[in-house]
Amino acid sequence: MIRLGLLLLALLMPPPVAAQEGPDPRLAAAARQVALAYVLTGDAEVDETSRQGLDGLSLGLTMRTTVEPGAPVGIDLDRDDVSMLTFLYWPVTAAQPAPSPSAYVRLNHFLRSGGMILFDTRDGDIAGAGTPGGRADLQRLAAPLDIPPLEPVPEDHVLTRSFYLLQDFPGRWRGNPLWAEAATSTEGLPVAGFRRLNDGVSPVLIGANDWAEAWAIDDRGLPTHQVGSGLDGEHQRELALRFGINLVMYVLTGNYKSDQVHVPALLDRLGRDRGYPGLGEWP
Amino acid sequence: MTGLRFDPSLPWPVVAVIAALALLAAAWALWRGLPGWSLRGLAGLAAAAALAAPVLERGVRHGLSDIVILLDDRSASQSLPGRDAQTDAAMDQITGQLAALAGVELRRVTVADDPDGTLIGTALTRALAAEPEARVAGIVAVTDGQAHDAAMVPANAPAPVHVLLTGQPTDWDRRLVIDEAPAFGLIDTPAVIRLRIEDQGAVPPEMVGRPATLRVRVEGEDEQVIALPPGIPLDLPVSITHAGQNVVSIRLDPPEAGAPQLTEQNDAAAVQIEGVRDRLRVLLVSGEPHAGERTWRNLLKSDANVDLIHFTILRPPDKMDGVPVDEVALIAFPTQELFEQRINDFDLIIFDRYRVRGILPRDYFDNIRRYVQEGGALLVSAGPEMASVESLNLSPIGDILPARPTGRVVQEAFTPQLTADGHRHPVTSGLPGAPAEQGGEPGWGRWLQRQDIIPDPDAQVVMTAEGDAPLLVLDREGEGRVALLASDQVWLWGRGFEGGGPQLELLRRIAHWSMKEPELEEEALLAQTGRDLSVTVTRRTMQDEAGPVTVTAPDGSTAELPLEPQEPGRFTGHWQAPAPGLYTLQHGDLTRLMALGPAAPREFEQTVASGEALAPLAEATGGAVLHLSDGVPDVRTARPGRSAHGWGVGGEWIAITPREAAQVSGLSRRPLLPDWAWLALIAGLALAGWLLEGGRIRSWKR
Repeated sequence: MIRLGLLLLALLMPPPVAAQEGPDPRLAAAARQVALAYVLTGDAEVDETSRQGLDGLSLGLTMRTTVEPGAPVGIDLDRDDVSMLTFLYWPVTAAQPAPSPSAYVRLNHFLRSGGMILFDTRDGDIAGAGTPGGRADLQRLAAPLDIPPLEPVPEDHVLTRSFYLLQDFPGRWRGNPLWAEAATSTEGLPVAGFRRLNDGVSPVLIGANDWAEAWAIDDRGLPTHQVGSGLDGEHQRELALRFGINLVMYVLTGNYKSDQVHVPALLDRLGRDRGYPGLGEWP
Repeated sequence: MTGLRFDPSLPWPVVAVIAALALLAAAWALWRGLPGWSLRGLAGLAAAAALAAPVLERGVRHGLSDIVILLDDRSASQSLPGRDAQTDAAMDQITGQLAALAGVELRRVTVADDPDGTLIGTALTRALAAEPEARVAGIVAVTDGQAHDAAMVPANAPAPVHVLLTGQPTDWDRRLVIDEAPAFGLIDTPAVIRLRIEDQGAVPPEMVGRPATLRVRVEGEDEQVIALPPGIPLDLPVSITHAGQNVVSIRLDPPEAGAPQLTEQNDAAAVQIEGVRDRLRVLLVSGEPHAGERTWRNLLKSDANVDLIHFTILRPPDKMDGVPVDEVALIAFPTQELFEQRINDFDLIIFDRYRVRGILPRDYFDNIRRYVQEGGALLVSAGPEMASVESLNLSPIGDILPARPTGRVVQEAFTPQLTADGHRHPVTSGLPGAPAEQGGEPGWGRWLQRQDIIPDPDAQVVMTAEGDAPLLVLDREGEGRVALLASDQVWLWGRGFEGGGPQLELLRRIAHWSMKEPELEEEALLAQTGRDLSVTVTRRTMQDEAGPVTVTAPDGSTAELPLEPQEPGRFTGHWQAPAPGLYTLQHGDLTRLMALGPAAPREFEQTVASGEALAPLAEATGGAVLHLSDGVPDVRTARPGRSAHGWGVGGEWIAITPREAAQVSGLSRRPLLPDWAWLALIAGLALAGWLLEGGRIRSWKR
């Protein structure tokens, strides 16, 4: 009885405000170092794969680009403050309980203020067979989020050229569409105003290609999962990593790459406005 | 007003029947040969007349006085030397002469200054409307004839309108005319003011065609002197140096020779041109993609007035992945284009977590330093690389950065605080969530990392981490400005971490301060003018105190305006200007020109007296347009329709036309004959007829 009373008391007490205690050091480190984060699903195997996958992607980024992320962090949506994060990888599992309403409030704020979530239903191998599979689970988990209308990523989307030139976004599986905020939602009132708020960067990406398994490496740096077969499989793994790099670049730089198309024109205009004679320097 | 009326007590047909019966009876009597037939008929007619009851009606009349409207122009243009006395003398003399005329009432109408000039037409129309038309015997206007409402001058009047013009035949004036002045101008491009010089009146022969000396002063610049002959339009290019109000004062030197001109009040003008920026060109160089990079993009892309040129180093030169070039979407950084050829085209250069990786040669950093010293703006948002060997501080622009790193990266959560300077500085004062006063706790979320820096002694630290560690440092370098934010964590505010903070507003203000936006100047003297010549003077300063502002009036007199502290770094005072004109506000080394009221008062646009506006009315009413310089005319009376002015022995005369108006104040009615007299008349006539026929009296015929 006393224990129950104490429990009730603890429940009634206002939760300790993070500001007075200091932020979670794990998340603070992630905020400083642009660490990639994944949602803990409760399935130990999936969580470990997510960690290994983001580890592999982080290594790829560090080796090839100026982005050098810290160690990936697993996020308990009910407990952790997502506002210190930039990118969240969310593998969709059937057994995963839906987060609490307050977690959804935090997630919606995260999306509105420029964060991005990649939902991975990980069922790209069977999704074509018409089974509901991960889609039902995705609906269950993502329904409370303010997600704008989506469309399959068009060919000219900035994701196809934010670092590498890509036509497809394979993971362990390939050939499944990747969904992003529909460009048409800018017409009229944008559902959640993401485009205007955040430089037109899609707040969510949804796919089924099980990217974490393709990126995943073990402690020795070796891939943990087989992708395809033979050389083709290894090429697919390379493309999956390139997609991961493009993805992180998209998360961090937004539509920077699509702007660059206009840079020559802008520079041209600078010259013209100020009366420069020749404009030929730019090819 | 006397008349005969009938007031019959029976209907007219009955009276007529009685009259007809009387005539029939008389005719029958005549046919019968009765001698009294005429008396019988007359008696019958008299009875009919008595029934028709004739009455005498009589009105009571009073003669009315004649009204003369005396219009007295006391507008500012009538205050020119000599005119006042001339007006007074003419008014006195004419009033005296009119008072001497019998039955003349004077109505004096004084026309004063109006913001729209002298409204003589309106005054005339009103005065005429207020008086009964039939009594107005004359209108005399003493004026310089400069009506600014010529359309309101009535086309006709019920009595002669005489215009007596003030001024002298030798009057002349040279004035400055601003034909066209733009209200807005792009900064750094010349705005064109079109002006000319106009001579009016009897220009002395030695001044005809002689150029005038024009002195042009743009706020804060040296005076330019231009010689301009009258009548030739000049396109005067004026450089707009800063955003906000640019006041251009233009002044003519007084004529060097000949008779003095009428006034100098129309020899100066103040033109206010609102300086607006062309599109801002911002170069954003991100050293690496990071969580805060999109914050900069959100800020700069959401401003439709910014052309953003953004470069991010996505791959450093020392990292290779063996991917064929045609599968990589990277383009070379056009460094030469940006940092050598077009660097001066940018309004702001932002280095966002930029690491010196050997991509930019030292020369380019030298160019940036020169760009800033020549008036450019540089903003550095530093991440941990600032504490490393790849710090921008170790490049040539380290010289102009307002702080140097200690090499320590502090990974502690802290809440940004405003310093005492920060409370006054427009970049940080009044930020949403900022504490109202020094020492208060801001309602902002914390940042998680900062670089430890030592600010330059002459730089301003406006934000600190907890415990006085500088965070945001602002400094001036040569003509330009440099801002350094020693943390890359401002994005946490945007993300709403611990409630977040005003990240876009802070970054916007830092960026615009470095581009010298006048609204964010620390030392500023601002004047806001109201409609009724009231002025609110605001002094923004980093000092604790602000002494009084010296206000210099157009005539050179000065006044001191004390300022009251409003909030940290902000002092205001209210002042009421006595008259329109160009005032100078001075506080310390800050001066501000302030043009109150119209650029040049309308009253003094045309100063040489002219009867042009009122001549048609005078002509239509038979009046005269005379010059008071020829003497004050006599006042006579004349019949309406006769000439109302002419030459007499004593000189010219003008006339009023007495209207002999009268008023009917009552009406009386009296019967023509009392009832008994009617009875006696009818009875007498009937009796006479009877006596005659009876032979008692002899007919006169016999």
